[in-house]
Amino acid sequence: MRSRLPVLALALLLATSGPAISACAISSVAASSPDTTVLTFWQYYDGTQKEWLEAEVQRFEERNPGVEIELVQVVGSQQDQKLLASVATGTTPDLFINNIVVDFPTLVAGGVMLDLTPYWESFPDADAFPDHATWEDGGRIYNLMSYTNLLGLYYNQDILDEYGLAPPSTLDELQAAVETIKADGRYEGIALSGAADVEGAWLFAPQLLGLGIGYCNLAESAQQVTDAFRRIAAWRETDALPRAAATWDQNAAWQQFMTGRYAFALNGNWQLGNVKEAGFRYGTAQFPAPPGGRSRVFPGGEGFAIGSKSQHPDLAWKFLEQLMSPESGLAVYRAAGSIPLHEQAAAAPEIREDPLVAPFVAATRDAAPWPNNPNTAAMQKALGTAVSSVISGEQPPEDGARDAIEGVAEAREQGGGGCA
Amino acid sequence: MSGLATKVPGVAAPPQDQQARHRSAITPLGFGVPAAVVLVAMAIYPLVVLFQMSVSDVGPSNIVGGWSFVGLDNFAGALGDPETWYALWRTLGVCAVLLTSNLVLGFICASVLAEPGRGSGAVLGLMVFIWALPPLVSGSVWKFLLDDSGALNSVLGVVGVGPVPWLSSPAAALWTVAGVVAWSALPFSTLILRGAMLAVPKEVLEAAAIDGAGFWTTRVRIVLPLLRPTMWILAILTVIYAFKSFDFVYVLTEGGPGSSTNTLPVLSYYTAFTQFDMSTGATVAVLSMVVVAVCAVPYVRRINAEAPQ
Repeated sequence: MRSRLPVLALALLLATSGPAISACAISSVAASSPDTTVLTFWQYYDGTQKEWLEAEVQRFEERNPGVEIELVQVVGSQQDQKLLASVATGTTPDLFINNIVVDFPTLVAGGVMLDLTPYWESFPDADAFPDHATWEDGGRIYNLMSYTNLLGLYYNQDILDEYGLAPPSTLDELQAAVETIKADGRYEGIALSGAADVEGAWLFAPQLLGLGIGYCNLAESAQQVTDAFRRIAAWRETDALPRAAATWDQNAAWQQFMTGRYAFALNGNWQLGNVKEAGFRYGTAQFPAPPGGRSRVFPGGEGFAIGSKSQHPDLAWKFLEQLMSPESGLAVYRAAGSIPLHEQAAAAPEIREDPLVAPFVAATRDAAPWPNNPNTAAMQKALGTAVSSVISGEQPPEDGARDAIEGVAEAREQGGGGCA
Repeated sequence: MSGLATKVPGVAAPPQDQQARHRSAITPLGFGVPAAVVLVAMAIYPLVVLFQMSVSDVGPSNIVGGWSFVGLDNFAGALGDPETWYALWRTLGVCAVLLTSNLVLGFICASVLAEPGRGSGAVLGLMVFIWALPPLVSGSVWKFLLDDSGALNSVLGVVGVGPVPWLSSPAAALWTVAGVVAWSALPFSTLILRGAMLAVPKEVLEAAAIDGAGFWTTRVRIVLPLLRPTMWILAILTVIYAFKSFDFVYVLTEGGPGSSTNTLPVLSYYTAFTQFDMSTGATVAVLSMVVVAVCAVPYVRRINAEAPQ
């Protein structure tokens, strides 16, 4: 028995200390030398965006001997939970990215983010950024964007030429063009994501944003909301929009467009790199404007933040300064097609003179503000579910509009009622 | 067995015997400690937290602590929400498809595969392979096959059948997803039932054959009644499986189109981890657990009844 006790004790120790060990492993990385300071950076990039960030890290480490940045790959859909938990254990990463569309209100409400206001106020290039580059809560800045991703219209030039059509600039023109193309029966109409989540909401919202309608005033504009739902129901009934779009995410919708069977795709500028592989001629335009309104979309992309429990906030800010530089902005454009927000980078000839990029750059100048409510994700989920249900035929457009309005209002209320 | 020494009246046990008896009484407890620690850490503690969440107000701003007790408000809210009931009916729909598949198809497959032969071995190997496939992988393959312009519809198009909206129609999506879940669960039920069939005494089957019973008559009239305890346990396990099936739904439809495949586990996940309404998500999970627990009671009873005394 005596010989078994240490084994049992060790097993107990391992079992009880497991969570602590794993927590340490993710929050604190061993430095390669005693004089080296290591910053942890949680991110969920892949592909070209990850390559861009790795290059930025390498550049920073070369310029700052004695500092290492450890990139920790996190599953995007799980990052919020991990970040919220890290606050309790005091192990927030020094830096992290977050999806502004869904994560920011949750993370700022959970106390995950450091107040960046003092840093931003002393940042020499602060005036070179538009207002939506900084994400605020209660008048304090917590999140910064160096680039943005927005929605626009991609079109198959070969199909449009076949029917003598010009790229549409309004939703009415888009509908007329699709009806012409579909009447012939050889091609499909629009490929877009109508998934029952934030993606479906993200693609649908511009039909209202151009009319000055957003999550904050949905209920006051019930007629226009119903009209927008009727429009997608009409697209569905005329087969301009396939029923399968009700389950497509943006990647699935993009794959459909790339088959060459679809005349149009509503998708983001992050596909500018991929569209070069298309087996047909193509072009881009701004998201078609709703009747009586203008083209307006939500700004998307990733925000950069410093963890509220970071032990090295000044060093972390130094890296953020680099990411906010025009050089870094141009680098992310070249790598991933993202639109830099720094005015110097945005004015670079290679961006300004690229006709494919121009519509997205133009969209950044008039991007719609996101609602300021910790339940923004739930509001989007409610809208996305209604969109999906109407596209699939589960609900008539009137019921979809009603559910969207009620669901958004309920989520807003649960988030404290704030919005603008 | 050494611990069961016979005590002789009037004769005190020597101290060494007492120590040995004491040791042998403690040793099994010692062996159980690691398992108990793991059970408490990985199952009991999360369950306690889940129950605590379901009676508290937990959102993104207080997810790490400071939960205020709200009693049964969350349960009243969840049970008063029609979506919870819709999700329950959908889960029961999946459950019905799974029960039919596991018990009926499983019995037929097991009957065929219980017969020796090279073909049986190959099919069994394939079934084990399907069973071992991660749902994320097999679900993605099915999503590709079942797309409106996918391989299955292409094949149907060859024989003149128009494209079927397997996953995009609200009327079809739930049954399609249930079919895929049933496909993945069928190997398990087949293997279980086949194992039970092989344990049926040969004399019984030979007697049936002498009496002139054919293959299926023997299976239905003789073997099936003998498999009843196994079928009961399989049915209970199937219900439990249906109430925790999340992965295939998530991969195939993410609960859509609309909310047509929003089953209880999917509803719980999206409420908790997309909308960060942890309280309601936990409440829905607890309600699911109640159903599973109700099924677990007869399961444990049957297992105990069948355990050798």
